[in-house]
Amino acid sequence: MKLCTTSETISFAKELEEQSGKFYLKMAQRFEQARDLEPFQEENRKYSIQIQRAYQSVITDAIEGCFAFALESEDYLLDTELPEELGFSAALKKAIAMEEKITAFYNTAADQSMSLMADIPRNFKIISRKRQKRLDQLKEK
Amino acid sequence: MAILDEPIKGTPVVKNYIDGEWVESKGEMIDVVNPVTCKPIAKVAISTREEIDAAVEAAKNAYPDWRRTPAVTRARYLIRLLQLLEDNFEKISRIQTQEHGKTIDESRGETRRGIENVEVACGIPSLMMGESSEDIASGIDEYLIRVPLGVFGVIGPYNFPFMIPLWSAPYAVATGNTVIVKPSSEVPNSQNAIAELVEEAGFPPGVWNVVHGGRTVVNGMLEHPDIEGITFVGSTPTMKDVIYPRCGATGKRVIAQGGAVNVIVVMPDCNVEATIPGLMTSFFGNAGQRCLAGQTLAIVDDKGDFYESFVEKTAAFAKRIIIGNGLDESVQMGPLRDPQKKERVNDYIEIGLKEGATLRLDGRKPTIKGDFPDTCFLGPTIFENCAAGMRIVDEEIFGPTMSVVRVKDLDEAIRLCNDVPLHNGHAIFTSNGKWARKFQYEVISGNVGINIGIVAPMAFFPFSGMKGSFMGTLHTQGKEAVRFFTESKVCIHRWL
Repeated sequence: MKLCTTSETISFAKELEEQSGKFYLKMAQRFEQARDLEPFQEENRKYSIQIQRAYQSVITDAIEGCFAFALESEDYLLDTELPEELGFSAALKKAIAMEEKITAFYNTAADQSMSLMADIPRNFKIISRKRQKRLDQLKEK
Repeated sequence: MAILDEPIKGTPVVKNYIDGEWVESKGEMIDVVNPVTCKPIAKVAISTREEIDAAVEAAKNAYPDWRRTPAVTRARYLIRLLQLLEDNFEKISRIQTQEHGKTIDESRGETRRGIENVEVACGIPSLMMGESSEDIASGIDEYLIRVPLGVFGVIGPYNFPFMIPLWSAPYAVATGNTVIVKPSSEVPNSQNAIAELVEEAGFPPGVWNVVHGGRTVVNGMLEHPDIEGITFVGSTPTMKDVIYPRCGATGKRVIAQGGAVNVIVVMPDCNVEATIPGLMTSFFGNAGQRCLAGQTLAIVDDKGDFYESFVEKTAAFAKRIIIGNGLDESVQMGPLRDPQKKERVNDYIEIGLKEGATLRLDGRKPTIKGDFPDTCFLGPTIFENCAAGMRIVDEEIFGPTMSVVRVKDLDEAIRLCNDVPLHNGHAIFTSNGKWARKFQYEVISGNVGINIGIVAPMAFFPFSGMKGSFMGTLHTQGKEAVRFFTESKVCIHRWL
């Protein structure tokens, strides 16, 4: 599905944060080696709030709220299933793939709206940078 | 994506808020209709002359105590209101979408813009400070104090039902006046949502009143000797023929903001990818129902290929706009406010065709997302072969239309801007600073956009307007609003 409006893009971003946060919680509960990933869920919650605040603070009738994006939601669908038989390294691979997708989402969304949506792409970029650090942490495991 | 919940349930009666009480009007009740579903969502009264008189009386009685309340204390009431507005941001936004039809992004944008005015008014202790000069002659000092005047009336339009009354009301009460807001009876709910928060913030009874209705209420405000001034936003004919002369006749100060015929100029060097979304917002945002909407697109290209390629891309983008219920997050454009407004735009489409324009994009049979009647819906409509002097270029249409005019150079584009009768917000899209400056310098426009299609001033700047778009001297918002709602009292002291 195409995401064009800011409202649906923000909702989608929040959905990604929530889904991936739940994934990390499940992972931390399942694997001893993933205990340190549990705080990611709280980080995700803060990202959602950060995005929501940026949106509500900057959205006005003067900027292109309904026309700023052209994202394909299918490109960023997450696989957050954690079947019983899945081992830690396979789960880690899923986490890395998930983070790469989310980072790509934020970067693309920021690039598309850079000249149109003021603080929103800036916040997308900030979250993307922070996620890059998370990605590095996951890859080091 | 999600379809958001409707905040207004059932069909409640929209009451007046007078003297701190919620009062059901004795006037005739009319339906408030959701333009998407065409079903009533509330009932509102056309209040009587007695009811507006009662509100004026309450506001007049509240004024002396409110005036004596220190500015810093008045600001604290506004700070509480500000917090409550933030807490209710989403609910207020959805009310606007439900009763007006605009998209949820547009409603949230309107909410933010409205709240910004409360934020600015919270700075009233500094904004209202006077001036002084010591020793204007030996031993004599002179100073200026800004003093409130009494009761003010705020008459709001249907297109921005939440935001526009907030261009005035917070400044009126911050400066120590009392206020009566008359919202458009088509979309009364968001002003009552504010009044509920005014009550919760603890404003003394009578300081902030809301009276719903039509001409009787407006006439009552214009004629009442105890109302010191009026702010009005609406159509130019009403501004010129009713509001401004009648305020003059009764000695009221007035800010009267009317319609617009805005021209958006596109230069061949513009950033096309960023310009087109800007144009979509400008021409089709709020279904074109705003006094800063673009109406005419002037493309500067004498004989080259730029014109055709730009129109093609613009029309292709406009054709993809998703039309439907604004509470569906994917929807990019809502309906017109009611069938009469749609009919008026349809009439202009016919007029344009009779005048010789052609339709590059015909929005008269729009594809609507969801199972809704097409009663109030109209799709983006793009005219070509338009020229200065045509009615679809010179008259305010107030709908999702774009009249494209090809011009040979910037001078011709500026002439086109300056020759239309209403001048709220002309804009230019270009990468050339010299062209941008020339445009800003020469164009007659209260608000000027450079690579911005909707030139909506922030709350700390005045919402300006020129020629037929505005009557009065000072404007709403910011420091000018503070000036409007106060009189300068100059004191000269000598101690003998």
